[in-house]
Amino acid sequence: MDLRRLETARLYSRFGFGPRPGEYAQALKAGVAATKQNLLNPPQIDSGAVALPIVTDLGKRPEPNTPEVITFARQMRLQSEAIEIWWLDQMVATNKPLQEKMVWFWHGHWATSIGKVNYPAPMLQQNQTFRKYALGNFNDFAKAMFMDGALQIWLDGGDNTVKAPNENFSREMMELFLLGVNRYSETDVKELARAFTGYQVSRSTGAITFNANRRDTKSVTILSKSAVMSPEDAVTHLVSQPNCAQFIAERIWFRFVSSQTPLPAGHPMIASFAGREIAPLLSTLVNGADLANPQYEMVKSPVEWFIGVCRALGLTPSKLDSFTKLHGYLDKLSQIPFSPPNVGGWPADEAWLSSASAQFRITFATWLVGQADLSAITEQVPAARAAYLADLLAVPEWSPRTSFALREVRGVIPRLVILAICSPEYVVSS
Amino acid sequence: MSTKQLGMSKYTRRQFLKFSGAATAAGAASVLSINDIAEAAITRPLPAGTPILVVVTLYGGNDGLNTVIPYKDSAYYAARPTLNYKPETLLPLTDDMALNASMTGIKSLWDQQKVAIVRGVGYPKPDHSHFSSMAIWQTASPQTHLNTGWLGRWLDNQAVDPMLAISLGSVLPPLLAGATQSGSALPIGGLAIPNGAIGKACLRLSAVSQKDSKLTAAAATSMRNLFNLSSSVTPVLSQAAPVADDLPTVAGGNAGGDSNLTQQLNVVAKLIAAGAPTKVWSVSLGGFDTHANEANAQAALLGTVSSSISKFLSQMKASGRSKDITVMVYSEFGRRVKANGSDGTDHGTSGPMFLIGDRVQGGMYGDQPSLTKLVDGDLTVTTDFRDVYSSVIESVLLSPAEKVLGPWSGRVKTFKAV
Repeated sequence: MDLRRLETARLYSRFGFGPRPGEYAQALKAGVAATKQNLLNPPQIDSGAVALPIVTDLGKRPEPNTPEVITFARQMRLQSEAIEIWWLDQMVATNKPLQEKMVWFWHGHWATSIGKVNYPAPMLQQNQTFRKYALGNFNDFAKAMFMDGALQIWLDGGDNTVKAPNENFSREMMELFLLGVNRYSETDVKELARAFTGYQVSRSTGAITFNANRRDTKSVTILSKSAVMSPEDAVTHLVSQPNCAQFIAERIWFRFVSSQTPLPAGHPMIASFAGREIAPLLSTLVNGADLANPQYEMVKSPVEWFIGVCRALGLTPSKLDSFTKLHGYLDKLSQIPFSPPNVGGWPADEAWLSSASAQFRITFATWLVGQADLSAITEQVPAARAAYLADLLAVPEWSPRTSFALREVRGVIPRLVILAICSPEYVVSS
Repeated sequence: MSTKQLGMSKYTRRQFLKFSGAATAAGAASVLSINDIAEAAITRPLPAGTPILVVVTLYGGNDGLNTVIPYKDSAYYAARPTLNYKPETLLPLTDDMALNASMTGIKSLWDQQKVAIVRGVGYPKPDHSHFSSMAIWQTASPQTHLNTGWLGRWLDNQAVDPMLAISLGSVLPPLLAGATQSGSALPIGGLAIPNGAIGKACLRLSAVSQKDSKLTAAAATSMRNLFNLSSSVTPVLSQAAPVADDLPTVAGGNAGGDSNLTQQLNVVAKLIAAGAPTKVWSVSLGGFDTHANEANAQAALLGTVSSSISKFLSQMKASGRSKDITVMVYSEFGRRVKANGSDGTDHGTSGPMFLIGDRVQGGMYGDQPSLTKLVDGDLTVTTDFRDVYSSVIESVLLSPAEKVLGPWSGRVKTFKAV
């Protein structure tokens, strides 16, 4: 395996959503160091940014069997579709790939689903918060996420009161967002729930209000510290724990390097997160030696696969011939933006590799390739097409098996492209 | 019913599988087509009289106290002033225990002495995380993390056969992941093979390559399995379901909720009737994470569990296999004794397990945990789930438990002497 091709491919497919035509070949010429510099120092403004969809406060759901409820349901559906297609377009169009990939990462980290939140407005608002802090200060980020309407709705924050604490939010804050499982006690969960009491949230807007009557004003004891703590105090206390740096490094490792091998003890990412700044942690990972280690392969998630295909083939999700079909394929492959399966976020690796998903990927690929302009591939002489596709898709190398399969169909361009994007070498980021 | 009314994060099997990455120690699991099973059923049917285990997993943490209810205990009403059931609405089982009113099908099986209820089942140092606790139940390893499931380790000790243990759904639960042999997954809708030129090309693309890494090999295998179909066998599933001649006709047995369990058991019934050489089936129902407005949601789910199991066992009578079947029902934990402020309950510890079938000695087993002697607001564990697993392995799978669970002495006497 050519390690330069491997590391460059990983920079594109893991720290972004794959290259545009020509980018990978150019990066190979520029060298790995220059490619890393480009990735870590993008332009200030995302020239590819897609305008935000218009999402309004749809208010309380009208009574059943009224004309109003029909208009309401229609608006809910249209606005939900609008935010989904907007984000897919944004992932394809972005010129700040690392920033966008981190927004995607945080969506899987603070995994909140529109399935329970229902209203699109709080979901879009949460996505904006991910953008604001994607590579920013994690303590500010975590405090902002406590006050995030969608997350509060998702984890029953409004039901957490002094009279009857609800531990859903406090448990996940420690287990899945800030520290990791078993790095706190059951008492800590109960105490943190008390520190989180007193907030109510509007379902349609996600706006959060404070209700003093519901607030537990007594001292709490969380991870050996006793004090009267506001939610912000409590979050800051958790974020300052050494286990927080360990945990965030573990999650970044799991999504960007390997879900199969655990984070090596004392990985330099942990130290670079001392100030709880996210950007230095990413720089340490990108500039380190792990990305050149062939052992760390990963399976692309369905959205990563789809966005990568769109970027390589010049497709725009909103311009595909049917939103319903697009949504249906993503649903069959079990990954729809704004709809993670649970608060633990998306699965990884083999979970994406069932025979059912192999079948759906082939039909999805056939549909996509049918709408792409393939003339750049047709212009290549037949013998050069497989190598051209490897560069187009940032595949480090084709196996003899895949080379043989591609050679057999190289005269039929659409079939050739379908095979390339369904090949094990493209479905997996080597 | 809207999500708000259910008031729960819909925690399902699919979610657990996704979160856990459904680690299969033996690599990519086989995904079977209906044709595969039908062919095996015809060429090498399960010998008559072979015991069959059907595992029903309830994802989300089923509230045991509102399933098998200590309806004469004043502490129950005190802990749940707005989330209790009036005694007269319940289905009495014994002097002090009653079944949730929605579970009429299982009550009728109880009356026929085919239901064993093991109370207070759990494991030491209960974990309140869905993900961790479900992993503990499925791997049967409370102390150390294992990447094999308890039934996967049973498979490791059997002759290689992808038909031996089958899970309904496209992803395999860790329960059936072994070190050398894993169970198979059967998508409910079945699989369709790409045909024509693209099918031929994909078949070439899915060939084994010496240069494959672990994951590229798994990707190739998943595609190759698509083609492992026999076209000569008529799909069993297009045939009519076995006739259920004595279905209970009680109303309210399935008041909405997720009916997918019914579909899963319907497929299992057809395949068992066809003679599939399968000794272990795994099915599931999600949605038990009732943090808010629990009563209606849980009753609907329990109604589905009850009616689908009783219908399944009725269907099996016509096949002549009903006496061979044991159904086992469990969830990753019970719920907190005291209701929360949202008319729901937070994550708890122990809960009841159900064993149902002709081989079962009906009755109550294990001590009911006290509602007044709680540990941090939670029920104590009075029976370790490994006691139940050991008995199931020995009495249903007719295998030594030690190879699966290591040395473990506890047993429950829930099965009739053979």
